[in-house]
Amino acid sequence: QGGGSAVIDMENMDDTSGSSFEDMGEMHQRMKEEEEEEVEGDTGAAEDEDGEFLGMKGLRGQLGRQVADQMWQVGKRQASRAFSLYANIDILRPYFDVEPIQVRARLLESMIPVKMINFPQKIAGELYGPLMLVFTLVAILLHGMKTSDTIIREGTLMGTAIGTCFGYWLGVSSFIYFLAYLCNAQITMVQMLSLLGYGLFGHCITLFVTYNIHFHSLFYIFWLSVGGLSTLRMVAVLVSRTVGHTQRLILCGTLAALHMLFLLYLHFAYHKVVEGILDTLEGPNMPPFQRVARDIPVVSSAVLNTTAKAIALTL
Amino acid sequence: LVELGINFDHIWQKTLTVLHPLKVADGSIMNETDLAGPMVFCLAFGATLLLAGKIQFGYVYGISAIGCLGMFCLLNLMSMTGVSFGCVASVLGYCLLPMILLSTFAIVFSLQGMMGIILTAGIIGWCSFSASKIFISALAMEGQQLLVAYPCALLYGVFALISVF
Repeated sequence: QGGGSAVIDMENMDDTSGSSFEDMGEMHQRMKEEEEEEVEGDTGAAEDEDGEFLGMKGLRGQLGRQVADQMWQVGKRQASRAFSLYANIDILRPYFDVEPIQVRARLLESMIPVKMINFPQKIAGELYGPLMLVFTLVAILLHGMKTSDTIIREGTLMGTAIGTCFGYWLGVSSFIYFLAYLCNAQITMVQMLSLLGYGLFGHCITLFVTYNIHFHSLFYIFWLSVGGLSTLRMVAVLVSRTVGHTQRLILCGTLAALHMLFLLYLHFAYHKVVEGILDTLEGPNMPPFQRVARDIPVVSSAVLNTTAKAIALTL
Repeated sequence: LVELGINFDHIWQKTLTVLHPLKVADGSIMNETDLAGPMVFCLAFGATLLLAGKIQFGYVYGISAIGCLGMFCLLNLMSMTGVSFGCVASVLGYCLLPMILLSTFAIVFSLQGMMGIILTAGIIGWCSFSASKIFISALAMEGQQLLVAYPCALLYGVFALISVF
C-alpha cells in the first residue's frame, strides 16, 4: 500500500489490513451469507433425507469451523498488534550495543575514583554491564547461601537473592535519581542505573572472596578498600555533576551510606551460619576413630568345648 | 518419527557440534527449531540428579524456562537480526549435555572438594563456550562471543549449583 496516499484503494485491501471493527463487520456479513446458505440447505435436506450428502449437519459443522477460524484470526491479529505496541523492547536496544573491550574497560574504571570534579564526568549509558553484574551478584549470593546452608523460611533461595539484588539496583537507583532531581544534579535515569550497576563490581569481588575465605578482619579490609573505592568513584562522578555544597553533601552522603551498608548487610545476613558450623566442627579435639582388637576371653572357649562335648554325647 | 519433525541425523549433528568445543559451528543448523533433543536432555539431567538423591525436576524445568526467556530477551536486544524463542531454547537445551556428564559424576563422587570445583568450572565453561559459539554463528555477531558466553555461563552455573549441592 502507498505510504503517503490519502486515498485507500479498496481493491488492494487484503485481509491483514483494516481495523478490527471492519473485520467484525466482514465476519458478520459472512455469517449472514452462510446462514442463508444453511436455510437453503435445510430445505434441500428435508427433501432427500436418504441422500449420501451430509446435508444439514455437514453445513452446520462447516459453519462452526469457519466461525471459530474467523474468531481465532481476529483474536490473533488484535493480540499481536497490542504486543508489538506495548512490549516493544527495541527501545532498550541502543543500551546493549557494546564490545567486550568496552565492558572490561568500564569494569576497571569503576574502581578508580577520578579526582577531577570541576567538570562533569562522562557516564556511559549502557545497561549490559550493570545487568550482568547484578546477575553475577545473584549467583554469588546463591553460592554463599548454599555453602552456608542458609534456610529461608518464607520464600525460596533464588527468589530472595534475585529480590535483594534487583531491589537494591532498581530501588536505590530510583531513590538517588529522585534526590538528584531535588538537588539539581545533571544525571539521567539510565546513567544512574549504569553508575550504580558498575558500582556493584566491588561488591561482587568482596563477596566472592569473603564467602570462601572466612576471616572477619579480611572482610573489613575488603569492605573499606574495595567497597570504599567503588563508592568514591560514584561519589566523585556525582559531585562533578552537582552544584552547591549542601546538595553535594546530601546526594553523596546518601549514596555512600547506602552502598557501604548494603555490602555489610550482604556479608552478615547470608553467611553468618557458617561461623556456627565451623565452631561445632572444630570443638573438642576428637581422636581419629580407632579399631580395637576384640580379645576372646578364655572362659568362653571352655564353655564352647563343654557344649561341643555335650552335643557329641547326646548324638 | 520424521512426520513429527524428529530428524535423528540433525539431532546427532547438533550433539556433535556441542561435544566438540573447538569445531566450527555451521550457522544453518539452527534454522529448524528442534525441541525433542533438548527435552530429552532435560529429562536425562533430572534423571541423573534423581539417581544422586535429588528430586529436583521442578527446579530444572523452572530454571530452564526462565533462563531461556532471559536469553531470548537479551539476544533480541543484542543482535541485528532477531531470534526466535524456539531457537534459543533449542541451543540452550543442546548445550546442557556436558552438564549431564557433571551430574552423572556427582552420583558417585562428591563435587564439594577442590577437584569438584575445578571440574564444575570446566564443564560450565564448556557448556557456555558451545552455546555462545552456536549463537554467534547463527546470529552473525562477530566479536561478541564473550558477551554472549557470560550470561550462558551464569545460567549453566545455576544448573551446576543444583548438581553440586
